[in-house]
Amino acid sequence: MEQVIANGLYLGAQYALIALGLTLIFALMNVLNFAHGQMYVLGGFVVYQVYGLMKLPFVVALVAAAATLAVLGALLERFLFRTVIRRSEREESTMLLAAGIAYFLDAAILLMFGEKQRGVHKIVSGVFVWDNLILPWDRILVAGLAVLFIVAFILMMQYTKPGRAMRAMAQDRTAAQLMGVPVQFYGLVGFALGAMLAGLVGGLLVTITGVNSGIGGPISIKAFMMVMIGGAGVTGGAIAGGFILGMLESVGLTVLHAYGDLTYLAIFVAMMIFLAIRPNGLMGKPWG
Amino acid sequence: MTDPILAVRDLTKRYGGLTAVNEVSFDVQEGEILSIIGPNGAGKSTIFKLISSFVTPTRGEVRFRGEVVSGLAAHVVARKGVVRTFQETTIFKGMTARDSVIVAHHLRSRASLFGFFFGTAAARRDEDAFGRSADEILDFLGLGAVRNELASNLPQGHLRALGIAIGLAADPKILLLDEPFAGMNVDETNQAVEMVRAVRDRGVTCLLVEHDMAAVMKISDRIVVINFGVKIAEGTPAAIRADEKVIEAYLGVEDESIGL
Amino acid sequence: MLRMVPLPRFAGEETGACCFPPPCSEAKRGRGTTRRVVEGARRSALGYLGDEPMSRTQGAGRAAAVAVFLAAVFVAIPWAIASTGRTDLYYTLSSVALLAIASGGVWLTFYIGRINIGQGAWALAGGYASAVLVATYGWSFWLSLPAAGLICAFASVLVGLPILRLRGVYFSMVTLVLTEVARLTALALPITNGARGITSIPTPGPIRLFGLTIVPAFDSLAEPNRAFYFLSAAMMTLCFAGLWRLVHSRLGQLFAALRQNEDLASSMGVNVPLLRVVAYAISSFLGGVGGAIFVAIAQSIYPSSFTINDSVNFMLNCFLGGLGFVFGPMLGTLVLYFGWDLLFQTGPYQLLIYSGSMILLMLVLPNGILSLLNLRRRAP
Repeated sequence: MEQVIANGLYLGAQYALIALGLTLIFALMNVLNFAHGQMYVLGGFVVYQVYGLMKLPFVVALVAAAATLAVLGALLERFLFRTVIRRSEREESTMLLAAGIAYFLDAAILLMFGEKQRGVHKIVSGVFVWDNLILPWDRILVAGLAVLFIVAFILMMQYTKPGRAMRAMAQDRTAAQLMGVPVQFYGLVGFALGAMLAGLVGGLLVTITGVNSGIGGPISIKAFMMVMIGGAGVTGGAIAGGFILGMLESVGLTVLHAYGDLTYLAIFVAMMIFLAIRPNGLMGKPWG
Repeated sequence: MTDPILAVRDLTKRYGGLTAVNEVSFDVQEGEILSIIGPNGAGKSTIFKLISSFVTPTRGEVRFRGEVVSGLAAHVVARKGVVRTFQETTIFKGMTARDSVIVAHHLRSRASLFGFFFGTAAARRDEDAFGRSADEILDFLGLGAVRNELASNLPQGHLRALGIAIGLAADPKILLLDEPFAGMNVDETNQAVEMVRAVRDRGVTCLLVEHDMAAVMKISDRIVVINFGVKIAEGTPAAIRADEKVIEAYLGVEDESIGL
Repeated sequence: MLRMVPLPRFAGEETGACCFPPPCSEAKRGRGTTRRVVEGARRSALGYLGDEPMSRTQGAGRAAAVAVFLAAVFVAIPWAIASTGRTDLYYTLSSVALLAIASGGVWLTFYIGRINIGQGAWALAGGYASAVLVATYGWSFWLSLPAAGLICAFASVLVGLPILRLRGVYFSMVTLVLTEVARLTALALPITNGARGITSIPTPGPIRLFGLTIVPAFDSLAEPNRAFYFLSAAMMTLCFAGLWRLVHSRLGQLFAALRQNEDLASSMGVNVPLLRVVAYAISSFLGGVGGAIFVAIAQSIYPSSFTINDSVNFMLNCFLGGLGFVFGPMLGTLVLYFGWDLLFQTGPYQLLIYSGSMILLMLVLPNGILSLLNLRRRAP
């Protein structure tokens, strides 16, 4: 039992961080970033390259992953999304663009890193044992780092000037603009930040589960689910959604252990029923 | 007094701990223009949504011709003849003025939708009738010249008129107008006032929610005043003008000129 | 014992390699001069037909365009294929037609203002429905085809009632998940035979009326693929004619009203939830029919026959063709499918170039290919 909860919390911390990035981009730009999972994969491969192959310290690798993704996110916003949003008659067109970018990153990652599953050696070894609970130290460290990033993100959104500006933008873009918030600039910052968060989780998790070029799409779908459960565009919702999905998976895979895929079928169906009752998720505002 | 066309009884709406509307009751008589006024945030809009059934009351009820309509789906209430317009210039942006009004005739159609799919005789008859009726309504509201313009290209004043035209096309017995004079200058307001009178003269009872006191005083047969979700006064414009509670409510909450 | 929690597995992983391959990856690779002719003919037909809903234009030009389209699809293409001997194109073009039917359904949900990324679920459901009816219960394919469509329509009413209340991205994300639900259900149910799928499905039998054979049994034909081409093309023509009529009827006007403003529509007495479900049911019907014929051609179906990638591609077909045009999905499917095929020779760079050009196309024509028509119309 403790084991299941611990696993759930560990998963939840990662998931929450993934969902935060997705929900940030959605809140600021009204863009559903299909390429979020691919950004995660890219972050994993950067760490694989820097930490695994070049043998530099893990911290350096993680910073490299964050920086790479932040730059990529900024470039995507500046040169692709901004243009399409301006020229398109329907804002849904950004979904096509995002899907195209997802394909593109998939292809680029496949060309650069091949299709093999890649892993790196553990960042710390050893296992934490307490009564019935057994957890490897590296998982604890990774979960701790994820929580640290989440807290840092919340503090930044709450107390810094860019954070306040972005919150205002998420509330009401037009009003924020009228109040003198440079919305274009913060759109770019938000996109970079969202991509960076995806890269950070990828960089963290590659030390435990490894990474391969094919998991981008499935990660995106998970991120969508968390955001739906919690409510799109809301920080608290993303965190709640992440922890709920992590816990559901942990419990589900234990209880329905023998049935494998049924766990996900059950989670999906439960989520659809939940959304039928609460169309905006736990904390979301009405959309549209 | 005859039976009211619309009876509001003990209408209450709570959002969490907040009571937006508290035990409001009033009647609307057939053929009158009744206005609901009150300071910003007094609960007018909530009452409006409750009557048009876009929101379900926590307690109390709305009766249309003696039949309880609160709690029914919004489109069902509209079919019975309680039709609302929207405060924002909410229209079908991608359609022409005429097409918007034709679509709004939907309720009057006798042919089935599948009849329209296959173009049966009944459907074509309806189609022609709707076209004529739409033209009549557009002319009636002074929109004849712009009937083939895309709604998104129309100026503000025409949009309001189009909103009313769409409402009229749905064949209302009572038309609920949400702040029909908001954001208008004096000339535009005077025109809009004439428009609402003309609608009433067609035999459509009008219920307004409005902020513009001057226009309300000019147009209304009776006025209901709401403050903090509670009805504080009801009566003719003259009576309302003299009511101390009303003056207090307005002057106490806002220092904006209210044109008394 | 330490229990590792594995990262969950989704569709793409089983097939290995990359996660988002477009659906046509197993298609026979076809190239040839005929294609350009074909494409040109179709496009000219589209040029006349593809009209913004609600506007009324001249009937004569439209009739001519329909005639050109029919002649191209049912005479010129078969003739060109016969004279060049490129019979593999029958299979390719059948696939395009069937994917276009399913995309047409997605387009209809776009038309009521919902972004549907779940058509793969209904294509899969329709495919399984037909496969089970034919292979397990011995139905005629011709009966199973409408049955598959109706089963999908009925099921989509049940699913649609709750999820159509969701708007914007919520609906999109739920439909995306729906595709996974369909796949996992197919894996779990006994009647669908799990991961092994249903194979060796008999080809369509004959249709006889009053002792006359109207359609011969497909396995008695020298070129069953040609028969499948005619079947697919005829179904596509029928479905899009129906869709066109629908959009230009009162129902279509009401759908457009829903898209533009659901609250206003309901204030006029329009039963918004009902109409939404009707549109979704028609959409799913088209998905089911497309899937059922696909299965008849492939003679097999697996849980991975239609995946999330297909769902995304159905949506992309609509976007690419242009959402303002009934015939957009047809053009979008054709271009995406052949574009993908054409890039086969670039080997490992196929997906890179494909997605790169998709991104470029979005930058240049964010409102779809057929939006070029609007530019031309506005110019003079």
